[in-house]
Amino acid sequence: MGKLRQVAIYGKGGIGKSTTTQNLTAGLAELGKKVMVVGCDPKADSTRLLLGGLAQKTVLDTLRTEGDTVELDQILKEGFKGTKCVESGGPEPGVGCAGRGIITSIGLLERLGAYTDELDYVFYDVLGDVVCGGFAMPIREGKAQEIYIVASGEMMALYAANNISKGIQKYAKKGGVRLGGIICNSRNVDREKDLLRAFASELGTQLIYFVPRDNVVQRAEIHKQTVIAFKPDSGQAQEYRNLAQAIENNTMLTIPTPMKQERLEEILMEYGLMDNLEDDYKI
Amino acid sequence: MAKLLEKQRYKCALASMLSVQAIEGAIPILHAGPGCGNKLADLSAGASGHFASQIFPCTGVNEKDVVFGGEQKLRTTIENALKIIDADLFMVLTGCSQEIVGDDVEEVVSEFEDREKPVIFCSTAGFKGNNYKGHEWVINSLIDNYLEPSDTKEEGLVNIWADVPFQDLYWHGNLRALEELVRSIGLKPNTIFGHARGLENLKKVPSAQFNLLVSPWVGLDNVKKLESKFGTPYLHYPTIPIGAFETSKFLRTVAEFAGISEDAVNKVIDERESYYYYFIERFADTFMETRVMSRRFSVVSDAQYALGITKFLVDDLGLFPAKQYITDDTPEKFQDDIRKYFKDMNYGVESEVAFETDGYKIHKDIRETDYHGYPLILGSYWEKELGEELNAHFLSVSNPANERMIINSSYVGYDGGLKLIEDIYSVVKTRFN
Repeated sequence: MGKLRQVAIYGKGGIGKSTTTQNLTAGLAELGKKVMVVGCDPKADSTRLLLGGLAQKTVLDTLRTEGDTVELDQILKEGFKGTKCVESGGPEPGVGCAGRGIITSIGLLERLGAYTDELDYVFYDVLGDVVCGGFAMPIREGKAQEIYIVASGEMMALYAANNISKGIQKYAKKGGVRLGGIICNSRNVDREKDLLRAFASELGTQLIYFVPRDNVVQRAEIHKQTVIAFKPDSGQAQEYRNLAQAIENNTMLTIPTPMKQERLEEILMEYGLMDNLEDDYKI
Repeated sequence: MAKLLEKQRYKCALASMLSVQAIEGAIPILHAGPGCGNKLADLSAGASGHFASQIFPCTGVNEKDVVFGGEQKLRTTIENALKIIDADLFMVLTGCSQEIVGDDVEEVVSEFEDREKPVIFCSTAGFKGNNYKGHEWVINSLIDNYLEPSDTKEEGLVNIWADVPFQDLYWHGNLRALEELVRSIGLKPNTIFGHARGLENLKKVPSAQFNLLVSPWVGLDNVKKLESKFGTPYLHYPTIPIGAFETSKFLRTVAEFAGISEDAVNKVIDERESYYYYFIERFADTFMETRVMSRRFSVVSDAQYALGITKFLVDDLGLFPAKQYITDDTPEKFQDDIRKYFKDMNYGVESEVAFETDGYKIHKDIRETDYHGYPLILGSYWEKELGEELNAHFLSVSNPANERMIINSSYVGYDGGLKLIEDIYSVVKTRFN
C-alpha cells in the first residue's frame, strides 16, 4: 500500500457528486484499493449506493444521542467490496450550523482513529458550493490534498466550479491542497467536451474524465447500487472504471487560476453554442 | 483589515445584561456560551445582590447547540428560570454563537407569551456592537415588547435617560442627582435604574409629559422611538451638567422646554449658585496658591464625560483644554454634532476632540502634547501608568477604574462640580506630601 491519498469532491448541487464518487470508489475498490468515503452533506446520502441503503447512523446523530462516548464501529460501516462508509450528517434543515457540523464530525473521526494506515484513499463528498468555512474543512491543511470538481457543460455548473476553485486557490496558497481536475458528468449539452476542456485549461487544470450520460445510472440508483455493482458488464460501469484508473494514475495537481465572470462567459459564448443550431430552440 | 483594539474600555453588547439587572424586578436570561456572562461580569462592580451577574440564568451553549441549534436548550432554560427565579420581567439576551447559527430566539420567546411573568427578547450579539449600543437595544426592546400606550399624560412627569449603568461608574449617583435637579424646578422625575425605581417606574414611561435625554448620543434612538410610539416629545441635552455654569444652563433649558416660568427657575438657580460659590469663595486661596495645579488637561473617556468634564474645567475652573479623546466608538453620524458641542464654551475657548478607541494612539498623542506644566489627565485605569510616566495629575473617571471605589457618588449638578474639584485637588495636593 502506498501513501494515503485524501481526495475531496466538490461541485454544484445536483450535479452528481455523490453518484460519481460512489461509482468511482467502487471502481477503485475493484482495483483492490482500500477506500473510505466520508459524506459531508447533512442529507447523509453520500454512501447510499455503496451501502445498499441509508441504514447508517451519522456521526452527528450518534454524537447527539450518545454524547462523546461514540465508538468507531457505531458510525463506520462497510459497503461494496470493503469500502468504509461514514456520513457526517448534520442538523435538521433550517436550524443549527451544518458547516460547524462537518468540522465537529471530521474532528471526531480523527480522534476515533478512522484514518488507519491500511487506507489508500479517503474521499470527502462535500455538498454544493463552498458556502462557508465549515464546507472548506476537507481542504484545510492536513486533510484532502487533491480536489476534483464535478461539472457539466451547463452555465451554472461551470460558474460553481469556478467559484469552488477560488476556495481551493485560497487554501492552496497556505497549504498543500491542489486541484486534480474536472470530472464531466455529461448533460448532453452543445459541444460539452470541448467546452469543458477549454474551461479546465483556462482554470490551469485538466478535464480528467468525461462520463457520458446513461440511464443505467438512474436505474442503479433506484436499486440502491452503484452501476459497477448493478450492471458490471455495462458500458457505463466501464466508464467509471476508467475514471477510477484516471484518478489512480493522475499526477497533474495544480493551483487553480479562477477566472473573472466576463472570461467565463466568453468561453461559454465560444464553445457553448452549436453554430448550426443557432436560433433553433425546439426541444 | 483587522484592527487590534488596545486598552479596551467597553464590552460587547451582551454586557447590557447589566442594564437589565439595574432595573429592579427584571432579570436577564443569557443564550450564550458559558464564558460570555462570566467574562462580562468584571464590569459589574456593585452588581451583586439578588442575582449577581455571575449567576444569571444562562443556556451555556456548547458545540452540540451550535451544530444542531440551541433552541431546545433555551426553551428549557426559560422554563426553569420562570419556575425558580423571583423576578417580574425576564429578558432573553443572545450571544454571538447562537446568532451566527441562526437560532430563532424570537420564536422560542414568543412561546412564553401567555405566562404570568413577561418574557421578552433582545438581540445583543457582540459582533453587532458594544455595550453602549447594547444598552440602547435593551431599552428599545422594553419599549417594543413591554410598555403599553397610556391614555393619559401626567403633567410634569419627566422620564430621565442618561448613560449606561455600570459602564458609567457614577450611573447611580448621577441619575439621583439628575432627578433632584429636575425635581428642584417643580417637575416629577421618573427613572428606571437603581434602588427603588424598577418596573413600576418603567410602566409609567409612556404617560410622561416628555423624555429628557442627558447624553451626547447614547439613548437618542430610544427617545426617538418613544416619541414615535407614544407621541412623547423629547429634550436632548447633550452635556452632562457638572458645576454651576452648565447646571444652571441645564435647569433653564429644561424649564423652558417644560413651560416653567423664568422667575421660578431663576429663584432655584440663585439659591443653588449662592451655595456653590460660597465654597468656591471659601477655597479661593487654595485655587490661587496651589501653583502646581495643571493648566491644560485631557479627558480620555466616553463622550459623556469627555464633554461634561471639558466644559466644567473650561467654564468653571478656567483651565485650557488640550485634545480630548472619546473612546466609546461613537457612531459616525453623531460625531459632527459632538465636535460642535466642544466649541460651545465660555471665553471663546474650543477643544479639539478625537474619536479614538486605540489606547496606543491616544497615549502616543498625549506623550507628544505640551501641557505647559503638569498635565491633568482624567481617564481610566489605562492612563494611570501614563500619568506616572508624564508626572501628571491623574484621576480615573471612566471604565475601567480598577483602583477606585465608587458607590453612589456623582459629578452631576452643583454638588457634583464641587465633588470633582475635591477629587482633582486631592490628587494635585499629593505633590506636597
